[in-house]
This record gives sequence, structure tokens and C-alpha cells, in this order.
Amino acid sequence: MVRTQPGGGIAITIDPVTVAVLQNRLTAIVEEMGEAMLRTAYSQILNSSRDFSIALVDAQCRLVAQADHIPVHVGAMPWAARAVAEAFPHPARGDVFLLNDPYHGGSHLPDLTACVPVLVGDRTVFWSVVRAHQSDIGGATHGAYNPAAVEIWQEGLRVPPIRLTERGELREDLLAMLAANVRHPRDFRGDLAAMIGAARLGEQRVSTILGELGEPVLTGAVDAMLDAADRHARDIVASWPDGVFEGEALLDDDGHGATDIAIRARVTKRGSEVTVDLTGSDPQVRGFVNSSHANMQSAVAMAFAFLLDPDVARNEGAFRPLRVVARPGAVVWAEPPAPVTLCTSHCSNEIVEAVIVALSACCPERAMAGWGRRFRIAIEGAQPRTGRRFIWHLFQARPGGGASSCGDGWNAAGEWHSAGGIKFGSVEVTESRFPLLFERHEFRPGSAGEGQYRGGTGGDLVLRLETTEPSHANTAGDGARHGARGMCGGMDGAPHRYTMEVPGGGTRVLRTKETGIVMPPGTVLRVLSGGGGGWGDPASRDPEARATDAAEGLL
Amino acid sequence: MTAWTIGIDVGGTYTDVVLAAPDGTVTVAKAATTRDQSDGVMEGLRLAAERVGRSVASLLAKTGRIVHGTTVATNALLERKTPLVGLLTTEGHRDVVDMREGLKPDRYNLRMPAPVPLVARRLRLPVRERMRGDGSIEVPLDIGSVERALDTLEAERVQAIAVCLLHAWRNPAHEAAVAEAARRRLPDAFVTTSSEVLPQIKEFERFSTTIANAMVGPIIHGYLERLQSRLRAAGFAGPLFVIMSHGGVASAAEASRLAVGTALSGPAGGVAAGLALSKTGLGAQLITFDMGGTSTDIALVRGGRASLSGGRFVGDARIALPMLDIVTLGAGGGSIARLDRSGLLQVGPESAGADPGPACYGLGGTRPTVTDANLCLGYLDASLGRQRRLDGAASERAIDRLAATLGLDRAATAAGIHRLVNARMADGVRVATVKRGVDPREHTLLSFGGAAGLHVCAVAAELGITCAIIPLHASVLSAWGMLNTDLRIELMRSQPQGGGIAAAPLRAAFAEMEAEGRERLHWFEGALEVHRSADMRYGEQVFEISVPLDACFDGDDDTTAAAIADAFHGRHQDLYTYALRDQEVVLVNARCSVTGKFRAAAAGRSIASAATQAERTRRVYLGTWIEVPVHSFEALGEDEIAGPCIIEALTTTALLRAGDRSRFDPRGWLEVAVGA
Repeated sequence: MVRTQPGGGIAITIDPVTVAVLQNRLTAIVEEMGEAMLRTAYSQILNSSRDFSIALVDAQCRLVAQADHIPVHVGAMPWAARAVAEAFPHPARGDVFLLNDPYHGGSHLPDLTACVPVLVGDRTVFWSVVRAHQSDIGGATHGAYNPAAVEIWQEGLRVPPIRLTERGELREDLLAMLAANVRHPRDFRGDLAAMIGAARLGEQRVSTILGELGEPVLTGAVDAMLDAADRHARDIVASWPDGVFEGEALLDDDGHGATDIAIRARVTKRGSEVTVDLTGSDPQVRGFVNSSHANMQSAVAMAFAFLLDPDVARNEGAFRPLRVVARPGAVVWAEPPAPVTLCTSHCSNEIVEAVIVALSACCPERAMAGWGRRFRIAIEGAQPRTGRRFIWHLFQARPGGGASSCGDGWNAAGEWHSAGGIKFGSVEVTESRFPLLFERHEFRPGSAGEGQYRGGTGGDLVLRLETTEPSHANTAGDGARHGARGMCGGMDGAPHRYTMEVPGGGTRVLRTKETGIVMPPGTVLRVLSGGGGGWGDPASRDPEARATDAAEGLL
Repeated sequence: MTAWTIGIDVGGTYTDVVLAAPDGTVTVAKAATTRDQSDGVMEGLRLAAERVGRSVASLLAKTGRIVHGTTVATNALLERKTPLVGLLTTEGHRDVVDMREGLKPDRYNLRMPAPVPLVARRLRLPVRERMRGDGSIEVPLDIGSVERALDTLEAERVQAIAVCLLHAWRNPAHEAAVAEAARRRLPDAFVTTSSEVLPQIKEFERFSTTIANAMVGPIIHGYLERLQSRLRAAGFAGPLFVIMSHGGVASAAEASRLAVGTALSGPAGGVAAGLALSKTGLGAQLITFDMGGTSTDIALVRGGRASLSGGRFVGDARIALPMLDIVTLGAGGGSIARLDRSGLLQVGPESAGADPGPACYGLGGTRPTVTDANLCLGYLDASLGRQRRLDGAASERAIDRLAATLGLDRAATAAGIHRLVNARMADGVRVATVKRGVDPREHTLLSFGGAAGLHVCAVAAELGITCAIIPLHASVLSAWGMLNTDLRIELMRSQPQGGGIAAAPLRAAFAEMEAEGRERLHWFEGALEVHRSADMRYGEQVFEISVPLDACFDGDDDTTAAAIADAFHGRHQDLYTYALRDQEVVLVNARCSVTGKFRAAAAGRSIASAATQAERTRRVYLGTWIEVPVHSFEALGEDEIAGPCIIEALTTTALLRAGDRSRFDPRGWLEVAVGA
């Protein structure tokens, strides 16, 4: 078959073996980029918790290959590349572009994205893309989560698409300006160097293939890969019954008075196509639970990917059967200058929840129950002997994973948007580095949502501050009111319950969106994180499984 | 050398036995691997003895040592056929291992069932005690709580007990007391503590490794006892050694104590062979490429050393002991080719294994494998060397079915499978090299295992590697490698965090480790070699890199501390292209290896493969069908042979493409200059 290419060239159909070989090579390239990033990054959120993602997109900014890191990043990265390509239609070899602005193709401010073009002559053929969550991005609070923000400028530094490196020449002035606006400039520079290094590695590797095989073979093979994933996804979707299905998910609140904020998905499944219409969702709110456009697209794509088979190649082809309808001004697609920092977790997870609840009536055996919601705490204080300032982020006490038709949920495996991709640090290392004592860190019995298959349990953490002067904390999260969603007759998981006991000062419950919490020395935090949702009617649970749970002390 | 040496490698399908005679000649034998691996070992010894015209008793009576690689621990962990284990752990922390640091594999498979816990939660019992990060005691050990927990474990009839307490790497006193109580109450149980198995900070890795040790301890202990008594009964009076995951060997007693250290015993022999060959003049930079039936193991040998990693998962257990950095790919000769649901050709990870095996084995397999493709392409001779003739027609039928769905002819389909598996192998080598910052082109590719010779030149060409080596004993090279390993003990101590590098306590820690290593090898007659290294990182990093420190302890404390920091900066620069000399350097773990050197066995031509074959020709498919010469390995002179051609030995076949040129090296291998 002979056909015309967008670039004007002629391409022939590529033989299936070459397609398979190149798919393996492109996957190997993104994995190699991920490994380089992991080993060279400087801040703990990247080199330990791996909160970064890698993608290759083609000239039309179609996702070609991605390394499995953080699901909520993946569907969003082509939007970032698109914003760069629009802002800079004629990139040169050696250019590096950067962005984070949720109103210019980004998801939220902490996720900085580096894009490096892969050129043939002076034409862009691919983009090598690296996205990484920065440990700080300026703004009013440390660590980029500011529940008090009511406009985006209070959330941190906005970077619309910029050319940081021009034909291999780093623009030091621009970098100095960026670094001057964040709290840890040394980490920021180190992490940025790692991101650019990984993106350049991708550019080199893809250029090597282009040099060996030529552009028509590689782009022809990419077309074939995307088409294959499209066919694979459509095959699966076509096996579901047609219909129109509705789902709703509720956020606890926005921290500024709005409660039970609704995300509504009306999902039409016809033939091999799925249309997700979010226009029935609530209008945007004051607090930072609003979603950016790219993040909304990514959340819907993530829900769709979760419902397909895990061996579907996650490239643009797999998402072709999917159409998203929404209107700006809604909580799922906020208009500037609304704050959006929490959106990669909330309302991402609620978008996923609404889509999966809707489709649970269509393909119940594929619809997994809800995974836990995120509820973070960042404590800022002083080391007792040295007086050195420290900032500690809570990653322990992971909430439970959701159950499914295939079995119980994973205990303490995290949230829908990371799905077991975030690692928490060692208690021994944490105690050696911070004035904290983990009196207990175990599963939380009774937290799992009941069902034919139960959810995963949440965590139970008792943490004592061994400080000698007061510390300050912020929270950022959701799910203290609504637990992880039960599915197909299963029950919701227990919601989060975080309390703080001050010596001689009684105990109080922490809200999910607070700033400026004072924690005197000896304060004890009790973190009871939510369990995962159950799947199926609890009455159908195998009595033996229930007996095992009882013997295991998990009920 | 006056005694025989025997290497025994138990693989998934075959048990290979290699005998090195006192004059250095090497004899090989293969027996089927059996459920109780000691049966296959004894049968292999019988066959090997037969080949050299001796009785087993007279051979074993003259045997100085036997080195054994076993997959007993690996299989037990993978299949989860392990005895009942109880865990005694710090109150409030009994779910450490089950939490897996929050991680779950396969990010988009949310319906994946959760793994069965290594130890059931009802057998994870709290002990009332608490150490602090500096080793001081926060809550003293309540021995009553230990006894109550032991009541339960006794009633449950556990066969092994893992004792895992927080911060025990810093102060093992509570663990020692708990273990003592456990041994008193359950004298028949295998009791192991985290501070003995892996005295290293980070509880998940330490606890998981210790629990895995408890899971395989009773099995390895029982297996080695059984094997030793059978060997003794058969007339063997010398020592039995086991090759460990780190590539050195340990006495059977040592291997029983640190049973989990045998988890990579199987593939370690191949890396040991690479190491030995690199010392006999094969070049200092090798990539070992061991392609078997179901999987392919790839490792690096550089500067006369094999690189070690900090651990890996074996089944559901994370094992954080230093072990050879082996990349394992789920593709080999038995890998099945198929179309995936998107209609693309895939090879592996599903394998036909040994039963039914590839279609050409005629044991009922109908799906096309890599071996079937190689047979259809004319690369393999259907009648060569195996116990059974290969059924070419069965291969053709299997390939034809796939060809029909692909819309290609038979040869193009088979060539596609061959090419795709080559591409996967090349990717595997990239993972083992490029991902570690190593350029594969500076290396020699050492190919072994049954299937590698047909793929090695194409894989090398795809990677830009210009030299490939195919040893005569390619199919039993792992067993041969075991004849060439050293006795080794790896020790480590985590160091207190904070306050920079303190030379004096470090010196003391190294002295203590060295003394312990020497004590454990006190029976060894030769000289012992000691090497010091450390796992280090910059203050804010979490990834440690391994830094050799042998040259750092000559001066006073200040000089030593500076030399150690300097060694780290240099290593970081080598690996990641930059160093941050103004930043804090943290030394996390001090490591010491104590090695006793055995005399190496020589390579050289085999006496077992005596049959010299006359030169023939065969039609093979290399883009088109062409007639190529077929040489016998044994008949090769020292002149150069140009591809395309086939070179066959009893147990291995090599394919040279046009442009490849090879020369036989009398030390026992074929050296190929790989064409582009």
C-alpha cells in the first residue's frame, strides 16, 4: 500500500516484524530514559517516590510510547507537547522547552515538563517528553499545595511554554529567574538537569533509529503501532453492550465552604466507541480542587485505560475510541485564574470514579471499586539538637486499593491516580533523619469496604513528634467525608480519620484542607487512612475468605 | 593438581556435570533434572564417571572438591512451596513486608490479585520492645510477650521463625534474646534473625530477606544434608561447596545458614565462567549471554569483576543481599511466537518449556517456538547430538499456521521470529549495559547455553559489538564455571547516619568484619584476600552507589576520610558524568568480602566430543535460500573461517552470517569478528 504522509513523503506499509521490533525499541528507550531520571534526580520525591513520567510523542503530538510511572501524568503529556509545538512552531536541534502552567497545556504547577524535539532536517518528527513533580514550586506554602489559595498566583510560579535552551545553549538568565522563585534552588537545578538529560537521551536514541532506518520506516511503523492499539481497544469496547450510562462522584469539599461537589459523567457506549460527557458536573469552585483541561483529559483517559486489558499498548491508538465532552467553567475544567493544585489527585480521582461508576452498569466485571483518596500532611519544624529546619511529607499509611471481580483489593496500595506507583520511605530511615517516632504503622482493621471481594485495608499510623519547639503543618487532600467507592453492590471503604493529640491540649480531628496547624513538641498524630471500596454483594462473599480475614485480624 | 574437580549445575531441564581431570582435560555429561535434585546429580555423576571409564566410587575417591549450583531455593520461592514460617517482630509494625513500601507492579492492571503474604498475618506476632535509630532502648524487651507469641507458633507447628525487629541493624541485642528464647522453645525450628542475615538499615528489605531465609532455610538445609550423605555414601570425602548469588562459593554449612543467598545460584555459574574466561585472555570487558530454553540471563564482567546489585525480587520476596547483577529476559529457545490481540507478532514470555517443548520435539507441542523457526530456517540439524531426532515437519506445520495469519510465507515468518527474538535479546543487553551507563560496543559478547550460538552474531551486530565468543562447552558452561569460582564471604554493616565520614569507627567496623570472615574461613588452607567497599551517596540522594575503598586506609583518620569522599566523587563522576564536590557525602553501608582462591581448572578441547565430522553443506535461509558449508567444531584448524556458514559441536550450533569471520582458539572457544 502506498499513501501520502503528512510531511509530503511517500510511505509504504511496514512489514509486521519491523513494527514489532520498533515497538520494542521505543519501549526500551522510554524505560532507559526513566532509569536515567531515577538515578540522577536529586530530590526524594523523584528518586525515591518516582513521581515522574516519560513519553515519546510524534509530530502530531500523538502518544507513541510511555514508561509506566504515574498514570495521571500519561494522558496529559501530549497536551503539554501540543502547547509547546503551538508556541514554538519551528524548534531547532538542541532546543529544550519547559512548561507547567495548567492554563497552557500543563496539569498543575508542581509538574514541570521538559520537551526536546527530534528533528529530521528542520522538521520535528518526534518529541521526547519528561514530566517530574517538583518538591517545591514557590507560592505561599512550602511543597506546592496551598489549600488557602483562591487564585493560581497564590499556588506558585507559572511557566507557560518557554525555550530554556536554545540550540544547545542554556539560557542561564532564565534558569536563574526560575530558581529564584522556588524554595530549594539547588534541588530544583539538580532535578531539572536530570529531566533535561533524560529527555536528551530519548532524542539521541530516536535519532539513531531515524538514521538507521529513515523517517518513512519509523513513522510508518508508528502508524501501524497506533492502529494496532486502536484495533485492540475497539475489540474490547465492542464486546460491551451499547447504552447510555451515568455516574456521579462527590468531593468532600473545597476548603472554602462548598461541600459535596459533584462530578457527573454521562457515558455513551456505541459500537466500538465511548463518549464521556462531563457537562453535568458542578461549576468551578473557589478552592484548589478544580481541574485543568489537560488533567481532565488525562483522568478520563486513565479511567478508560483501567477498564481495558493491561496488555493494550498505551499509545494514542488505544484512546481513539474515546471522546471527551466538557465545558469550561466547570470543576472538571476550570477557567483562569482558579487554583488547581490538588487536581492531579482531586478531582482526578472523582472523574475516574464517575466514569467507572457509569460503566459499571455496562462492563461490571471490568469496573474495579474505588481506590483510596489522598490526604497529605507536610510538617515543617526544627531538628532538636542542630536547629536545622526540616520539612517532612507524609507518604506512609497508604489507603487501600479497590476490589474487583478478580479478587480483594491490595492493602495499603494507594490512590487511583498512582495505583501502587508511589513508594513510601523506610521508617528506620525516617526516624534517623527526622525527630519523629513511629509508635505504630500497620494495616487498619475494619477499614476495607465489604463486598463479594473486599477492598484493601487502609493504614493505622501513630506518630510522635520528638521536637523541642513547635512545628507547623499543612494538610491537602480529600476523603474524610466520602470513603473509596464500593462498586457493583460492594460497600464504600471507611473514610480517612486523622487526629492530633497535643500534650495537655486534648485531641482534635484534622480537616483535609488546613494551613498553619501548630504542633507543639510531643504532639501525637493518629492517621487512620481510608480502606478501598468493595466489589459485589457482601452476601456472596466466600465464608472461608471472611474467616481468613477474621483470623488475620483484618475485620 | 592431583585431584579431580567436579562442577554440577542443575537447570530447569538438564543437570550438567563437568569433570576436570588432574591434567586439566574436561569431560561433560548431562542428566535429566529430577524433582529431588540430588537424584539427577547422582545420575549425572554416574554418566560422567562412565565417560572417563571409572566407577563413581573411584572417581569420587580422587575428587578434591565438588562445586554445586542449585535452583532448589529459587524454585521453592517461585512456586511458594515453602514450610510454615512464623514472624516475631516489633509491636505495632507487623505488616512491614506486606505493605511492600506502597508499591504494586503493573500500573494499569488494577484487577491484578494481591500476592499471598510471605507470612500469614496470624503468624506475624508482636513482641513488646522498641529500639531507637541510635541503638538506644526506647522500650525494654518484655520476655513474657515473646513467650506468649511462641505459645502460638508452637501450637501452629511452624518449621521456621524469622526474628525481625526495628533498628536491629544498629543494636541486635533484642533480636538475639528473642532468637535464643525461640530456639529453646522450638529446638527443631530453623530460627534466623534480621541482624544476622542483613545488618542493614531499611526494614522492608531486611525483613523480607530474613523471612525469605526462613522460608528456604529448612529446605536448603535438608537438601544439602541429603546430598552430602549420598555423596559420602558414594565415596566422596572432600568438601561440597555451593555457588552463591554473589558468584562466590560457600561451604554447604554456610549455604544452609544463609540459605536465601543461594537464590541466584543457578545463573551464577555462567557469570563465574565469564569471569574465569576473562582471566584466561578473553578480554577484560565481557557481556555474558546465557540463552536457555525459557529465559536468557545477561550480566557484565568488567575489569576482572562481575558487577553486583543490591538485590531483586525472587517470586514475591525481595532479597536485598549483594548478588550478581543479572538481567533475566523471559525469552529463549522454547519461547512461543504468536500474534497478540492487536495483531502484532510477539515472541515469549510464554514458553513451551521442556514438556511439551518446541513442536519439533514431537512431544505434543503444536505452537511455533524459536527453536522451530531455527529448524525451519536450516540453522539446526534435525539429527545432531540430542537424545532425539527433531521433527522438521512438525516445526513446519507450526510455523505455517502462524504464517497464514500473518500473510507471509514460511521462511519469512520463521525469519521474522528469529529476528524479533534477536531484537529482544539486544534490548536485554541494552538494559544490562546502557541503562547502567555502560557502552556495549566496548565489550565482547560471550554466548552460551543451548540456543545462543544461532543468535549471538546478529545480536552483537545490532548492538555494534564487534567480537563474539562461542565456547566449546557453551551448553554446559555454567557447570564449567563452577570449577573456577573462589570461596567467598560477603559481610556488611550499616553505619550511623549524620555527621560526615568518621574514619575511626569505620576502621573498627572493617576490622570486625575482616575478623569474622577469617574466622568463618579458618579451615581454608590457602591465603585469604580481603576487599573493602562502601555504599555511598550525596546527602539528599537515596540511591547509593558502590565504591571500592581498598586504597583508602593508609593514612591517618583525616586523610582516610578525605580519601573515601574522594573515591566516591570519582565514582559518581564515572557513572553519571558529574560530581558535586561541595556537597555532603554519606556512607551508608560498609562492606567487606573475604575470598579464598582455589586453583582454576583449565579449559581446552574436550575428550568427550571426539567424533570429528567431515565438512558438509546445508541449505539455510538468510534472506534467500543459500547453500552454506557446515563445519565441525572439533575439526576446526586455526585458520580463519568466513560466514555465511554453520559450525556444529555435540551440544551447540553457531551461525555465522555473511561478513562474520571466525577463528578457533585452542584454549577452547570460537572467536567471531562480527560483520556489520
